[in-house]
Amino acid sequence: MASETATKSIGHITQVIGSTFDAQFEDDQLPAIYNAVEIIVNDSTLTGEIQQHLGGGRVRCVALGSTDGMVRGQECVDTGSPVSVPVGKDTLGRVFNLLGEPVDGRGEVKADEIRSIHRSAPKLSDLSTNTELFETGIKVIDLLTPFVRGGKAGLFGGAGLGKTVILTELIARIASAHGGYSVFAGVGERTREGTDLWLEMQEAKIGDTGRSVIEQTCMVFGQMNEPPGARLRVALSALTMAEYFRDVTGTDTLLFVDNIFRFSQAGSEVSALLGRMPSAVGYQPTLATEMGALQERIASTNKGAITSVQAVYVPADDPTDPAPATAFGNLDAFLYLERSISAKGIYPAVDPLASSSRILDPQYVGDRHYGIARNVQTILQRYRELQDIIAILGVDELSEDDKQVVHRARRLERFLSQPFLVAEVFTGKPGEITPLEDTLRSFEEICAGKWDHLPESAFMYVGSVDQAEEQAKKMAEG
Amino acid sequence: MANAKALDKRRKSVRNIRKITRTMELIATARFKKAMDRAVAATSYTQRITEVVTNLAKSGTEVQHPLLEDRQTTENATLIVLTGNRGLCGGYNGAVVRETINHHQKLAEQYDNVNLLISGKRGITNLSFRGLTADESYTHFDDQPKFDEVKPIADTLMEQFIAGKLDRLDVAYTRFISSSKQRAVVETLLPLGKVEGDDTAGGGTTDTDYEFMPSAESILEEVVPTSFRIKLFKCFLDAAVSEQIARMVAMKSATENADEMIANLSMTYNRARQSQITGEIMEIIGGVEALKT
Repeated sequence: MASETATKSIGHITQVIGSTFDAQFEDDQLPAIYNAVEIIVNDSTLTGEIQQHLGGGRVRCVALGSTDGMVRGQECVDTGSPVSVPVGKDTLGRVFNLLGEPVDGRGEVKADEIRSIHRSAPKLSDLSTNTELFETGIKVIDLLTPFVRGGKAGLFGGAGLGKTVILTELIARIASAHGGYSVFAGVGERTREGTDLWLEMQEAKIGDTGRSVIEQTCMVFGQMNEPPGARLRVALSALTMAEYFRDVTGTDTLLFVDNIFRFSQAGSEVSALLGRMPSAVGYQPTLATEMGALQERIASTNKGAITSVQAVYVPADDPTDPAPATAFGNLDAFLYLERSISAKGIYPAVDPLASSSRILDPQYVGDRHYGIARNVQTILQRYRELQDIIAILGVDELSEDDKQVVHRARRLERFLSQPFLVAEVFTGKPGEITPLEDTLRSFEEICAGKWDHLPESAFMYVGSVDQAEEQAKKMAEG
Repeated sequence: MANAKALDKRRKSVRNIRKITRTMELIATARFKKAMDRAVAATSYTQRITEVVTNLAKSGTEVQHPLLEDRQTTENATLIVLTGNRGLCGGYNGAVVRETINHHQKLAEQYDNVNLLISGKRGITNLSFRGLTADESYTHFDDQPKFDEVKPIADTLMEQFIAGKLDRLDVAYTRFISSSKQRAVVETLLPLGKVEGDDTAGGGTTDTDYEFMPSAESILEEVVPTSFRIKLFKCFLDAAVSEQIARMVAMKSATENADEMIANLSMTYNRARQSQITGEIMEIIGGVEALKT
């Protein structure tokens, strides 16, 4: 790219404000919106992205790296195209930053093709209309918020409720059983978590093939130490790589994003610097547009499917905050992690009443599954309604019917916990993969009162209800 | 954080509940005093008369009364259950119901036919939910049971016992031990000689010599049935006092729980309200600032 500078227009920096800067170009050589520009700062190249044309040849850019050391008057070279990343099978097993540069220290990536990170969403007519349940082996997900194959699932939760753990667990469960490719986007989260995941993926094997998961995965990181411009674009870079697998190889591709909220947050950080008036709760006025542009690209087409799981941080545990609320509308399945549940020591701390899925509908999952799920929710809902009465008057004041509801609800609540593969080192319990059929049967029987005699603690951290029975026996023996 | 309006609404409803529980606590306290006086007044009388009967029963072979006979037959048993008509009294009804179920099972194993007499709406509904329906039920006993109301029940049962249609009578109720201790118990009232329990058997000595005037029969004829009636009546009184105490304690803790809940809700409400205000101010200031440039 840099070799063609002779034909590229050159501008000069006129203003630097935080992570944005202005540059002056010749009027007739104005770079297009979203074009990447390069500046040599302290012997390294800083890339910026044109966001606005201010008139008179001036452009306003977002820096995709640190602006430390920038001075007015520096040369700024238009690359003639938007930021482009390498795509294809050569990217597998590698770790990139948002510019498509490998950061795992394993040398250059020789990809056949590079693609711009700005692309349009698939056409309406190309979208896949298939709806199929995607089994995860996690009871609460399969029962109450079934994932859609080729759909989008969101993990909403406040700080420290285990979003990243569930996401890692899903990678361990899905990616290891999955034949296709996976793309992981680390957006504005801890670098340490990214490293852990990378190491874990090297150890984890795909089924019985003996190959490690990382060989089928590529990872793109723009973590919290990076400037907002990087966090704003890293999701697009990862998505571009995933789109290639979908369009060209036609396989089922998995896209994991941790954390989509950081994308909105980064947008809000640069928004005011770009001169936009803040909107509700100080977010950018273009919040919905930005989110929509990203989410619409994560779609399954006739050629291939992208199944994506996204973690969404919920600031101050307030799901009505505009950022999570905007992400919410784009998802097929939606898990809400609740602090009061995690406080009880129940993990995954999924709120069975606030979480939902588009395909939890008799049309897709069948009458039996739907009926059981609704039954579970009804019991838990009733329990929640009674909670104030119990808190004030005590459980003795309830009617016999309500006492039974409370009795079962407390068991159901605990039964929604499950030992995780990735949490084995913490809990000392091997992870449980519960087949959907076992899950359905277990919940059906608990709702029907078949297991009322088991103590509550027997339902903690087991797979199917048969294991609860075993655990109860063990507890009775001491 | 939930919205401030919903929190305020919830806090209001908890406040209303608190008002109710607080009032009920006060009412229960007043009623408890009355019921307590009645029960205490009856206690010494009951104890003395029980002592007399026990001593008589043990003193000699010449003392014979059908109510004192130890029956070997195991055909018919009756279980009287004393519960309250109203709830909101903590574990009071639940404890009696539990005792009843356990005891009913035992009786059903020994006797061919177990009759169930239940007093109190709570007991009737609770037991019928567990599959025990009352053969006879009473709901007219309030917190001041009258002797005249208990007497007909006692008389009917006595007649049945003497006629041989009843072999054993048990009462499940909450015994009033002290104002800080009540316990759900099952006591056997018939045959009278089969007296169990510490406070009834303890007082008497078997060595007492009795002289009967005009005759043993006539005295027993009078004393034994009275003793039975008064014992049954005492059960009703105990149950009434215990219910008031249970209600008092339950409502006191309910009021305290409500207080705690109000405090928590107030804190969350204030925080939600403040953050709402802060948010709005920030938005306005932000807007103004943005317009300036």
